[in-house]
Amino acid sequence: MNQSRWGVLACSILLGFGLVAPTLTIVPSAGELTWLVEFLSPEDLEPTTYSILGVIEKLFSTGDEFLGVVLVLFSVLFPVGKLALYWIAAGCGSDLGRAAGLLKWTHRAGKFSMAEVFALALMVVVVKTLPGGSTAEVQWGAYVFVASVLGAILVSFGLDRSQEAKWKLNGSHG
Amino acid sequence: MSDFDAPKKPAWVGALVPVLLVLASAGLYWFFSAKGEGGGDGPPVDGSAQSLGTKLVNGKTYYLFASLIELYPKNLDGENWDLGDGGPDIRYRVLWQGNEVFKSKVKDDSLIADWSGLGVELEWSDLLGKKFSPDEIIKGARVRSTDDQHVAVEVVDGDVADDDEAGSVEILFKDLRVGTNEFKYEKTPDSAIRRVVLKALPVDSSLQDLVNLMK
Repeated sequence: MNQSRWGVLACSILLGFGLVAPTLTIVPSAGELTWLVEFLSPEDLEPTTYSILGVIEKLFSTGDEFLGVVLVLFSVLFPVGKLALYWIAAGCGSDLGRAAGLLKWTHRAGKFSMAEVFALALMVVVVKTLPGGSTAEVQWGAYVFVASVLGAILVSFGLDRSQEAKWKLNGSHG
Repeated sequence: MSDFDAPKKPAWVGALVPVLLVLASAGLYWFFSAKGEGGGDGPPVDGSAQSLGTKLVNGKTYYLFASLIELYPKNLDGENWDLGDGGPDIRYRVLWQGNEVFKSKVKDDSLIADWSGLGVELEWSDLLGKKFSPDEIIKGARVRSTDDQHVAVEVVDGDVADDDEAGSVEILFKDLRVGTNEFKYEKTPDSAIRRVVLKALPVDSSLQDLVNLMK
């Protein structure tokens, strides 16, 4: 198995964990009245931790189906699809025409960066739930997700390089 | 059939590898995190404290206070509580074994009056440096639970000249639970009390347990 495929495997594992691991903890606060809210309505001050899938579930449960679908598409289906394309492209071997076609698709896919989508997901949750003075803490799942994004970018570079090398090799033989 | 002749798998079958890996690692995390959370729900409570919702124990002492009292919109005579459109100025006292054991502050112009049960104005900054005992924190009656006994909650509409009775209710200890207890009443010629929410907290709890129970 070549290096790119190992990379795709690692990114897939990271993506799987990144989607379900704790990503963001929101610690609500009511400013100077926090102590009061603590007694009158303590459940409102409970810290809430979300995973990326948790964010999506919340969007659907609160009736924001449109945003939910957008996030499912761009933070789950799209990254998984991209890794699947990389896997096939990495296994094309000397079939350069097919590999080039696939890589064109993967580069198009890369334009919808997961990092941007992730930022969008965070913003949606933060804007929708934070009252004044509340804080949001990034959890380890966010770093795992970002690692998966960066890994996918590296795999993409690796595929580009190997394709160029094959073109050169083909050219010199031709 | 030689390897050369064997039918080739379509490329999309290979594409399932990353998909399955994503699902497997997500499932693995889910499995282990669900297993880890299986231990117990809610805040830990030390051995001395009773759990929320359990019956009061005979012979044990409890803090008891009304966190909310609601009155009907008309007084016992079927008239407005105050001259004009002012609401009643609600105050209550707790009687146990015929003795007044607690008297609350007055809540002005309220049909629904609430009390936090706190004896001090707590600020988070205070909590960092100061130490409080439960007696300092809780503003309520101290009563000993006995199954066949009751406490009486007497509610008045405080006036400058003279307090007007709003009614009185008797609550048996055996009907009380640790934490929040809500009782609803019909209006009668002797009582205009619609609702009473009582909180019962064991006095031997730590401050942290009390705060958890008060939640």
